[in-house]
Amino acid sequence: MSFELLCLIGFLFGIGFGIFVQRAGLCFAHGLGEIFMGRGKRIIRMFLVILIITSIGFLLSGYISSDLGLKSVGQIRGYGFYNILSGILFGAGILLNGGCILGTLRQIGEGNMTFAVVLLSFIPGMALIVFGLNPLLNTYYNTTTGILLPDIIGLAAPYVTSIIVIGSIFWLIAILWKRN
Amino acid sequence: MKPLLKNPLFWVACFAFLNVIMYITIAKFWIGGSSFLPMIGEFGVDNKFLFAFIVNLGIIAGSLISALGSKEFVFRIPKNSNNVIKAVVGGILIGMGVTLAPGTCSTVFITGMPMLSVNSFLSAAGIFIGAYISYRLVIGREK
Repeated sequence: MSFELLCLIGFLFGIGFGIFVQRAGLCFAHGLGEIFMGRGKRIIRMFLVILIITSIGFLLSGYISSDLGLKSVGQIRGYGFYNILSGILFGAGILLNGGCILGTLRQIGEGNMTFAVVLLSFIPGMALIVFGLNPLLNTYYNTTTGILLPDIIGLAAPYVTSIIVIGSIFWLIAILWKRN
Repeated sequence: MKPLLKNPLFWVACFAFLNVIMYITIAKFWIGGSSFLPMIGEFGVDNKFLFAFIVNLGIIAGSLISALGSKEFVFRIPKNSNNVIKAVVGGILIGMGVTLAPGTCSTVFITGMPMLSVNSFLSAAGIFIGAYISYRLVIGREK
C-alpha cells in the first residue's frame, strides 16, 4: 500500500474518530478535573468502556496476524523516570488549558479557537525538547527496548488482559448499578 | 434507538471499536502527542508521525462535521487574555511532555494501557500527579 493511500485511509479513520469524540464529549482533561472535584464517575465510565473494548481487541489482534498483537507504545527512552516526568508536564498542561489532545482537536472542530492557540503552543514546547534537551539526554540515556506488563510480572498476556477486563467490567457494573 | 444515540458511552464504545478496527486493518493505532512532531519537522521512522498527524487532522474534520450536524458549532475567538496565557503555557507544557517521552497523554488511556505498555502505566501516574499539582495551584485556587 502506498503511503498516500495509507494517509487517505488514516484521514477517513480520523473523521470517524472525530465524529465519535464530538458526540461523546470525550476529554481527559475535563475528566481529571471532575475527578479532583469528586465527580469523576462520567470519565471513569468512559475510560472503562474504552479499556474493556480495546484491551480485548488488541489482544485478539495477535491471533489474527503475528504482525499485530500487543506492542509497547512510544518507548523512546525505555520506561521509568522520563515517563513519569513527561506525564507530570503533560498533566499540568492539560489541566491548565482545559483540553487533552483529543479534547483540543475536538474543541477546534467545534469552533473554539482558544484551542488553536493551545495547538500552536505545542511547537515551542516540542522544539525545546527536540533541539535543546534531546541531544543532551541521548548522550547519557538512549534505550529503545519495548517493555510490556506481562514481561515484568511474569504472567502471560491473556491472563493479564483477562484480569484487567474482568476487573473493569465489575467496576463499570458497580458504577452503573449505583447510578440507577 | 434515540436514547442510545444520546448516550456518550455508545459513542465512546464506537471510538474504541474504530481504534481496534484501524489496528487490525492497517496495523496502526491512534496516537496523540507524537503526532504533532511534524509541525517542527520531525516525521519519524517511515513517516509514522506524519501519518498520525493526518489522522488527527481527520479528527478536527470529523468533529467539525459532527458539530455542524448537531448544531453545536460555535465560532469563538479567545478574548480573555488570562485564558490565552493559560492556553499558551499549557500548550508549551504539553509540547514538552509529549516529546520528552512519546506515548504519554491521551495515548496512555486509549492505546497504551490496553496494549499493557509499561511506560503508559508510569505516564498515567505522572499525568495524575501533574494534573493534581496544576489543579491545586491554579484551578482550585480560582474556584
